[in-house]
Amino acid sequence: MTMPEILKPLKTWEHLSGARRKPSEYEIVSTNLHYSTDDQNSPFELDPNFDIALWFKKYRNESPIKHPDWNSFRDPDEIVYRTYNLIQDGQEAYVFGLLDQFSDREHDKALSPSWVALLGRLYTPNRYLFHSLQMHSAYICQMAQASTISNCATYQTADHLRWLTHTAYRTAELAKVHGAAGFGLNEKNRWLSDPAWLDIRELVEKALVAWDWAESFVVLNLIVKPSIEGATIRSLGESARRNGDTLLGLLSDAQLVDASRHQKWSRALVKKMLEQDENREQLRVWIRKWMPLAKAAINSYCQYLVEVPDAAERSIATVEEFHASLGL
Amino acid sequence: MTILDRSEWYDIARETNWTPTFVTEEELFPEVMTGGLGVTRDKWEKYDEPYKTSYPEYVKIQREKDAGAYSVKAALERNKLFETADPGWISILKSHYGGLALGEYAAMSAEARMTRFGPAPGMRNMATFGMLDENRHTQLQLYFPHEHCSKDRQFDWAVKAYHTNEWAAIATRRMVDDLFLGRDAISIAIMLTFAFETGFTNMQFLGLSSDAAEVGDYTFSSLISSIQTDESRHAQIGGPALEVLIANGKKAEAERMVYQGIAGAWRLFCVLTGPSMDYNTPLAHRKHSFKEFMQEWIIGQFERSLIDLGLDLPWYWDKLVAEFDYMHHAYQLGLWYWRPTIWWNPAAGVTPDERDWLEEKYPGWNDTFGKCWDVIIENVVAGRMDKTYPETLPILCNMSQLPICAIPGNGWNVKDYPLEYQGRTYHFNSEIDRWMFQQSPERYRDHMSLVDRLLAGQIQPPDIGGILKYMNIAPGECGDDAHKYAWADAYRVNPFSKSAA
Ligand SMILES: [Fe+2]
Ligand SMILES: [Fe+2]
Repeated sequence: MTMPEILKPLKTWEHLSGARRKPSEYEIVSTNLHYSTDDQNSPFELDPNFDIALWFKKYRNESPIKHPDWNSFRDPDEIVYRTYNLIQDGQEAYVFGLLDQFSDREHDKALSPSWVALLGRLYTPNRYLFHSLQMHSAYICQMAQASTISNCATYQTADHLRWLTHTAYRTAELAKVHGAAGFGLNEKNRWLSDPAWLDIRELVEKALVAWDWAESFVVLNLIVKPSIEGATIRSLGESARRNGDTLLGLLSDAQLVDASRHQKWSRALVKKMLEQDENREQLRVWIRKWMPLAKAAINSYCQYLVEVPDAAERSIATVEEFHASLGL
Repeated sequence: MTILDRSEWYDIARETNWTPTFVTEEELFPEVMTGGLGVTRDKWEKYDEPYKTSYPEYVKIQREKDAGAYSVKAALERNKLFETADPGWISILKSHYGGLALGEYAAMSAEARMTRFGPAPGMRNMATFGMLDENRHTQLQLYFPHEHCSKDRQFDWAVKAYHTNEWAAIATRRMVDDLFLGRDAISIAIMLTFAFETGFTNMQFLGLSSDAAEVGDYTFSSLISSIQTDESRHAQIGGPALEVLIANGKKAEAERMVYQGIAGAWRLFCVLTGPSMDYNTPLAHRKHSFKEFMQEWIIGQFERSLIDLGLDLPWYWDKLVAEFDYMHHAYQLGLWYWRPTIWWNPAAGVTPDERDWLEEKYPGWNDTFGKCWDVIIENVVAGRMDKTYPETLPILCNMSQLPICAIPGNGWNVKDYPLEYQGRTYHFNSEIDRWMFQQSPERYRDHMSLVDRLLAGQIQPPDIGGILKYMNIAPGECGDDAHKYAWADAYRVNPFSKSAA
């Protein structure tokens, strides 16, 4: 019997010790943390084929999008929990500073009745939409192939709760000043049956049940989010500025800071997927499959933003340019 | 200043349920991922999380907490604790990080399951903070041990352990996977947050934190007490879920989930926390015995929270309470004897003074567990070290994946609790473990314990060398006695004073 070699201490985790440079804090605390991906046949230390094991085998392990080393994915922003709170506490201080100032100036009293009506129709129902993004991001978190992907999805989940929170807060403020307009009461009906929202709701309901983890990521981060960020955030924000609602314009911009961070990691993950050339066609298939629903959603919503006549056109163009820039 | 009070908008932020029309309700919340025992989603409108917070408050408070935890670490960086602390204490740190860090990450996935598939918006929002919390706990408990990597290869196991087939890692994964990572959202709310977090994490985090402060390890003490402040918040996701189930005629089923959660968590704490507190913590710094902690946290406090919810105590309560007296002593023997197969150096913890303490806290210890240690001590003193090492594996429980063991010596009660199921014989450590299997055999049926794998020829060669290779543990990282057997010197001087008893 040959004596096994005696292992020596390393400067970092064994799996990072091959790299030429010192690992960053981000790498030390974020890499190789999913163990359920280790045994493709049996995700858990349980029966290999009970119902949840089958779910993970089918929708994660057997996804048509393959990569030999998902753990090599890195968040381009290298966000860790500690920095996430630093960033977002600062952002929230800014947003709540705005809310405070505008409320002191009695901003809501000065809004025109027609704009107030439009806010009730096109703005405050956003909380259902944002919550669906929150739920959907949490699905990607639990199904992703690597912890570095899950972490991006975790912070994205929380960001969507942030957007939901801003919307709920504004809903309560508007209800105080414009009691008769139905703020806090009518959003669910709007979300369920207003033609401005129907196609968006169809898109997000169907997107939420696209269970393959890679399709789930594609439909949320490459289709749903860029579409609604163009329509219900950016275009609505522009419309707000043209109606004297400076506050909503600034709030929208603040949320788009999160959105651009989400786009950055999405771009990085697509790049990772495209390291395997065979993946390109499947990604294109999904984009072709989902774009018609996305276009319908953008068109239906934007037609009511009369002050921004090219809102739909520009929103769709932005999504398509994003795809083209990814090579899809 | 005109900022609205949280109560003025909180409810709006949790009115986010709607009935889908483009897909069915069952498609959006599939039974396999949501669970819920057939209680329809409208009944969950009553769900009301008792601990309320909001996004801006969360990021502010957590930023401050992290500043605290990391600054304590920075301030103490140059303190030579690692060089001066008792080796038993260092072993606690290694077993803690290896056993917990990636389990925290699995808890993040479980919180994400509740965020996506939880039936109530309040649950989904609270679980979003829970995802962030568990992300924090993973990162803290990797960042802190990482600095020790360059001094001691065993610290690599903070991230490595869960990726191996080392036996304690298998047992830990079994518990984590069965109680939360492999469960539906509602079961997670009950088994993870109510049973595991409300019942048990207090012990690991507050119990060990006070031991850490006693030892002078303020970095670890402040780290884990900071973690526990998050746990005590998101642990409250489970209580209102139980209330909804009980209100809708599912008391018996809800109780069963709680009972499974407690039984699973108990095994893990028994093997990790029990030996940490009663053997690895230096005697001078032990404030309470593991049993006393169990009595305070599980009988004193957790039993109260069961009763408050109108739940009956588990059928096995007396059996479980009886185990407080012996089970972790049996696991300690196993950990020490099979020390080349674990990623930390267990302290024997059986100097004459320590035996007096054990006898005082656990009357009869010398006559039972002490008898086994007598043999080990004789061999160590006589230099027959080969007799103190294992040659193969013990019989493992098909539920806990831990050795089947109990009281040796004059109190002998070791017994296998077998079960025939679909042509295979399963072995269990207790009636409780066998009952767990019977609750949902399909979850466990085709799983093989390490011994099953050995017998099936999956581990080659089928000797201790092959087993260590299969476990991916090698010299330089595998365990040995924490004090390099120095504790045995007391017996070399006077071999007959084995105990004061
Ligand atoms: Fe935790
Ligand atoms: Fe937790």
